[in-house]
Amino acid sequence: MTAPAIDVQELVKRFGGLVALDGVTFAAAQGEVLGIIGVNGAGKTTLMNCICGIYRPDAGAIRLGGQDVTGWAPHDIAHRGVGRTFQVPRVFRRMSLIDNLLVPVLQHKVPDRALIEAAEAMLERMRLIDLRHNFAEELSGGQQKLLEMARMLMPDPQVVMLDEPFAGVHPTLCRFMIEQIEAMTAAHKTVLLISHDLTSIYRLSNRVLALNQGRVIADGGVDAIRGNPDVIEAYLGS
Amino acid sequence: MLATLLGGFVILYFACVPVLGGNLAFHFYLMLWITMASGFNVSSGFSGYMPFGYVAFYGVGAFTTAILVKKAGFPVLAALPISGLAGLVLALLFAPTLRLSGIYFAIVSLALAAICRLVITNMPEAITGGSFGLQLGSQAEPVLSFYVMMVVMLAALGTILWLSRSRLGKALRAVRDDAEAADMMGINITRVRLYGWLIAAFFPAVCGGVEAWYTNVVDTETAFNTLITAKTVIYAVAGGLGTVAGPIVGAIAMVWLDELIWRQFPLLNLLILGLATVLLVLFLPRGIVGTVLRWRPGWRRYVP
Amino acid sequence: MEILVLNGIVNGLVVGGVYALIGMSLTLLYGVLRVVNFAHGEMVIGGSFLAYVLFHMAGIPPLLALPIAAVTFFALGYVAYYLLIPRLSRSDDPESMSFLMMYGVSIALAALMLLLFEADSRSIDYTFTPISMKIGPVYVSTARIVALGVTIVVSAAVGLFLFATLPGKALRAAIMNREAIQIMGVDIVRLSAFAFALATGLAGITGVLVALVFPAFNAFSGPEYSIIGFIVIVLGGLGNPIGALLAGVLYGLVEQLATVFLPQALAQIVGFGLLVAVILFRNAGFARWRIGR
Repeated sequence: MTAPAIDVQELVKRFGGLVALDGVTFAAAQGEVLGIIGVNGAGKTTLMNCICGIYRPDAGAIRLGGQDVTGWAPHDIAHRGVGRTFQVPRVFRRMSLIDNLLVPVLQHKVPDRALIEAAEAMLERMRLIDLRHNFAEELSGGQQKLLEMARMLMPDPQVVMLDEPFAGVHPTLCRFMIEQIEAMTAAHKTVLLISHDLTSIYRLSNRVLALNQGRVIADGGVDAIRGNPDVIEAYLGS
Repeated sequence: MLATLLGGFVILYFACVPVLGGNLAFHFYLMLWITMASGFNVSSGFSGYMPFGYVAFYGVGAFTTAILVKKAGFPVLAALPISGLAGLVLALLFAPTLRLSGIYFAIVSLALAAICRLVITNMPEAITGGSFGLQLGSQAEPVLSFYVMMVVMLAALGTILWLSRSRLGKALRAVRDDAEAADMMGINITRVRLYGWLIAAFFPAVCGGVEAWYTNVVDTETAFNTLITAKTVIYAVAGGLGTVAGPIVGAIAMVWLDELIWRQFPLLNLLILGLATVLLVLFLPRGIVGTVLRWRPGWRRYVP
Repeated sequence: MEILVLNGIVNGLVVGGVYALIGMSLTLLYGVLRVVNFAHGEMVIGGSFLAYVLFHMAGIPPLLALPIAAVTFFALGYVAYYLLIPRLSRSDDPESMSFLMMYGVSIALAALMLLLFEADSRSIDYTFTPISMKIGPVYVSTARIVALGVTIVVSAAVGLFLFATLPGKALRAAIMNREAIQIMGVDIVRLSAFAFALATGLAGITGVLVALVFPAFNAFSGPEYSIIGFIVIVLGGLGNPIGALLAGVLYGLVEQLATVFLPQALAQIVGFGLLVAVILFRNAGFARWRIGR
């Protein structure tokens, strides 16, 4: 029995008096897609920020493949094989697309030539190759989301976290991104997927975690979540 | 290839100035400002910090050379690298300010430059020469100092050209655009910022030393004059921050313009400098090179 | 010694009042426009020169120069706003660019004053009768007492304006949330122009007081006052007029008491060091602190 790819225990995060995460516990195995749902303010993005090391949790532990990374600096966690995208794209605005992709692999001990070839192949895959010398700020919102995904995949992370990848994206692009996520699981990556869009969550996820007010209110297979009265109440109730 | 050709031309051009009896002072200061503006660009254009007290490095460098030469009997050429070292030490002392951003960094930088000036002004006269400053006396060698300035400029441009292509340069730009995101992409932002800051501090300190040698005199009024920061900032912004070519183009254009204005209307010089800054910010915020590249994104491959 | 300390306290209050006014106008400007006015010191010195000209050319005493400076600078500020600020918001990085632009304005203003008045230090030879007054055991020049009185009246007026009138409340609302107030139907451009004009008007008044309180001023005195303004607004919390008022008085007191015990230059270093320390120390929790206010 190997340790889960990601294992979160009793995570607590407070902002002043506000408790954003109130003892969140879950684990995800390698190659699993874990959907994370919840209304605004339920703690989804805070959870991601804690795992990335942007926020230091007030209590609890985060383990990656059995190694405790709680309180590590974000760049150290990144080197441990965690990648992510953002709800509102955060590309490096005044850098070319190629350079954007090189950022996460700058410390790799590989010749520049090889890195650039890998970046070009990735841009090819994401259908952005024609724009490779443009600045990232010159891309449309949807293209920036693709760029972020490409950048995230460059160092071949084992755990990827996607924050609302489908928000504000037109349907064709949405389908393309779903294919990309499926390719990630085929490559045995663990995917944490945050989305408001329950349809795509239900379609892609092996398991779903429902958050409400910083607590896990349900954790299980798609069918179990769909019929869970607590989840329905959290979404539709008062 | 193109860079080598261009570099060769620049070397040839400046090398010929003393030989052919060109305007030594004009070209000396042109090289000085190219170096200063390029150094400032490492901080502002590559790293996203606006050090409005940039003159601190210059002034400390000038006094280091002057004191070493005058009081400790160092040969000038041995004193100049130590000036650069003094710039690095000062940069390390100021390193905690790198966790500030935007306006806060700018204001603190300004205050630190003022502190440097006050500290040196109030040091014993036996060391700094008090309000009369230090005369380097028999050390004056205009032509040799001209060539040393040329070497310093070439070293600065070479370093920055390397930086713009290096992994460190990419990391710096990523941190400038979004530090938090860069951190999550595996970049140690504290370390990267420090390296950029050290590069930005080294060259103005050496410039201060070379200029002290060239003019043969150093005093706190001129070595810590805020106009030095002002000119550096304006020249760099005029050309466009964030590219290697920008500050060079900006310095050439503005030093030349400055010289013209100075000759025609010596009194209006400062006023026009101020107005030029305002107009630049309002109408050409990306600078000359930045604006051109905005129109022709494809040229970014050829313009470092 | 005791007399010296008492003297320091009285002078600290007078000087601190001037600093408080500088800080109030600067922070108002930052709060509403998010522009750090690097040229604030030059605007203040411009007010001093106006008082100088009015007295030496037209014989108008400084107290009468106050309203003239206020109106003139208010008008100039209004024009300057429309010339400078609206274009700025279109740039990539308005914050840094505003700083850079005002830097240019400060150079231009200093150069202009240099052209008009040359580099010599000036002072106004106006004297009140009696020339000084005795408060307890210390003598204070009447000019300084008058300046303190004016400071109190002006800052009370500004406070009353901000907290008890509708336009003042709109300004405070804009400081707290620039976006929200636009949704509420306030014309942010007109409000910003007004804030800019108000801040320059206050700078003009402060300039007249500077001419009364300090022995001399010249075309290059500006940056000194800008830096003091920065210290005050950082100490008082950016965009907080009342904080600036308190911080200004506090800083004036500390500075004047420091000169009692320390040499002048060292006192200045202490002031700048204080600024650096406050920013570095406070910045750790800055984001939270700003939201929390």
